[in-house]
Amino acid sequence: MPTSSTEELPTPPDTDRPEERSSAKERGTILDVGSHEVGGWVTAAPPKFLDVVQHVFGFPRLLLRNRDLIGASVSRELRVRFTGTLLGWFWPLLIPLLFFAIYYFIFTKLLSIKFGELPEDQKAAMGVYMFVGVLAWSAFGESLTRCTGSIVDNGNLIKKVAFPSELLPLNAVLVNMVTMIFGMVVFVATTFITPLFGLVVWEPPSPTALLWCLVLLPIQALFTYGVGVTLATLQVYLRDTIHVVSVGVTVWMFATPVFWAPQIIRDGNLGGFSWILDINPLYHLVYAWRWVLMSQEPAFVSVVNPEGVLEVRPMYATPIVENVAIFAGWALAAFFVGYTFFLLARRRFADEI
Amino acid sequence: MPDFNVQVEGLGKCYRIYSGPMRRIVEGASFGRILGHRPFWALRDVNFTVKPGGSMGLCGANGAGKSTLLKVLAGTTHASEGRYRVHGRVSSLLELGTGFHMDFTGRDNIVSNGIMMGFSRRAIAAKSDEIIDFAELGDYIDEPVRTYSSGMGLRLAFSVAMAVDPDVMIIDEVFAVGDMYFQKKCVDKVYELKKRNKTLLFCSHSLYDVRQLCDEALWLRDGKTAAIGHTVDVTNDYSSYQRGHIDEHADGQVPRTTGRAPVVVDARIYRAGTDEEVYQATTGDSLEVRVWWKNPDPEQTPIHIGIGLFHDSSILAGMTTQFDSFAIRGDEGCTVGVLPEIDILSGNFLIAIYLLDGEGVHQYQQYLLREPLQVRFHERAEGLIHMRHRWEDRSDLELPAGLPRIREGRHGDVSSSGDETGETGGWTA
Repeated sequence: MPTSSTEELPTPPDTDRPEERSSAKERGTILDVGSHEVGGWVTAAPPKFLDVVQHVFGFPRLLLRNRDLIGASVSRELRVRFTGTLLGWFWPLLIPLLFFAIYYFIFTKLLSIKFGELPEDQKAAMGVYMFVGVLAWSAFGESLTRCTGSIVDNGNLIKKVAFPSELLPLNAVLVNMVTMIFGMVVFVATTFITPLFGLVVWEPPSPTALLWCLVLLPIQALFTYGVGVTLATLQVYLRDTIHVVSVGVTVWMFATPVFWAPQIIRDGNLGGFSWILDINPLYHLVYAWRWVLMSQEPAFVSVVNPEGVLEVRPMYATPIVENVAIFAGWALAAFFVGYTFFLLARRRFADEI
Repeated sequence: MPDFNVQVEGLGKCYRIYSGPMRRIVEGASFGRILGHRPFWALRDVNFTVKPGGSMGLCGANGAGKSTLLKVLAGTTHASEGRYRVHGRVSSLLELGTGFHMDFTGRDNIVSNGIMMGFSRRAIAAKSDEIIDFAELGDYIDEPVRTYSSGMGLRLAFSVAMAVDPDVMIIDEVFAVGDMYFQKKCVDKVYELKKRNKTLLFCSHSLYDVRQLCDEALWLRDGKTAAIGHTVDVTNDYSSYQRGHIDEHADGQVPRTTGRAPVVVDARIYRAGTDEEVYQATTGDSLEVRVWWKNPDPEQTPIHIGIGLFHDSSILAGMTTQFDSFAIRGDEGCTVGVLPEIDILSGNFLIAIYLLDGEGVHQYQQYLLREPLQVRFHERAEGLIHMRHRWEDRSDLELPAGLPRIREGRHGDVSSSGDETGETGGWTA
């Protein structure tokens, strides 16, 4: 009896209903896509400034309301990558492990001679240093590229289904964050497990240092999202964005101490270029991740000082709190600017894609 | 309970057409002071209200703004002027398979699609059995969606959209790919929604579907309201406009104006031989359908008249003057189709009048009678038509040689397993 079957089913509690996803609809703008307040007029007026501000600050609530959607789409994207492969869910663990092995082999075993001058237990420094840098960087760089296309590539969805489109760039960010976490787990596990086989790759990070992860991860996500959502919006209106981004990400990577140590600039004869570090938020992020994952006895790096003499300097010159604070500032700024821009521009997404 | 489910006032939608990306940059950089775009109004000044339990059908040519209107109401794009309000939950089927992920199974897609519509994982899990039952995809529900046919995609999408239990259901021309069985199921579901005071907004090029599903219709022409009102009136207007439109473009050399094209003026049903107009009849009554027509140019456009009887979505009977070689002459007149002792049993039958060209191929106009014919039968019978029959007792007849022609009693008969086609083909269990 089709007529009665829907009647008998327990209606979901109010919080599960789509229109509960939003509340601020009184002013009649389409800030909250896909929701209708009961009987509220929706007008053609552009969103008012106060609405936008309210919406920006309501972002945590939006995440909470859509937690199932966020979780489902992140896990879906990860599943797409690994279902149907022979090794399945070993891949996200295997990939960073292999990369770690490659970096360790090349930069520590093969090229160790270049970074001599280091104490015996610091021999692995360069390989580990680069691996951690690449891990943090690629989560960011990859997110940006993915974010940029996230709105345009899902045009079909934007045009046909009413749902909060700000979750599309967020999905790109979160998927890459999860990949990064896999890599970090592999790294930390390696540092703990290898000594059991009498092979010391790197001293395990201290548990207190690892607690910083809880601070760093959300801030990194916020910053990446802020930049990503801006690029995603630009890409809707100007399709050149993606090409600029793909070049820009590479330039940014080399401007960030991923493959080189900041001391080379700070303390070496390139001192005039240290503004490159100061204006680069990613410097602080990469620095902080290294501090967290490699925070044994201060690691060292060899630099050529202004007199042309090779010197060994401590790798961590500044306290991590300072870097995290600066990066958090960047993250908040990026988020507020980017998300506001997105909200203002969103009304015409469906028309432009 | 408010007196509306959907209310639209002066709604308009303007698309910006940019001739190149540079124009866009200039406009953006000058904060809109230097306009780089050409406005295109896809929709302008549309007004209507749909009451709870009501339904509005949209018809119009391609690009008339039907889909744009539905998109605005579904909330996927914003209006450029005017305002609208919707009471309650909206569920929209704007296109098939949006939000479906091709590599995942139907079951997975139900969950992810439901979550995207705003359900919690728990709520959609509780509904998924109902959805699967309704979609009737069998074992395909655990196959990747990419293996589905478009009709199966419709089944899944419609079932999920319905499971939201929407107050306002928006459907944009997607039924066409469903098979008859599922279309019937969809139609039943829509009727059930309407009974529970929900609202349907429906857009289709099949005027038959619009008439079947909607009480009211809105005809959009170039983004503006061309007609709005009772669905039969509006669709009749629209189809006669289309006919004129076809005429205008059919013969490039001599464009005929709408005024010179043949037209059905009116059509009514009478008790045969009397002037008593009748829409409620009993099986066995004799009726006649009188069709008044005008044909300003019978030399250029000879016409034929057809009458069709519809029940649910199938045609029960169709007859034309062309089939019966009955000539229609003159530039104005009334042609009567006499139906002596109608053999149809109880039911409601829609009567359609067709105005056909001289060869009976091209259809100038389709004209639906505003009232259906209601037939009652007081004896016991099943089905749609009253088949003439009698019963006889003939025990003297011998059992013929050869294989029985009925299915029963053939169990284990290997030799007959090859003739599954033919007259027994339709009788599968």
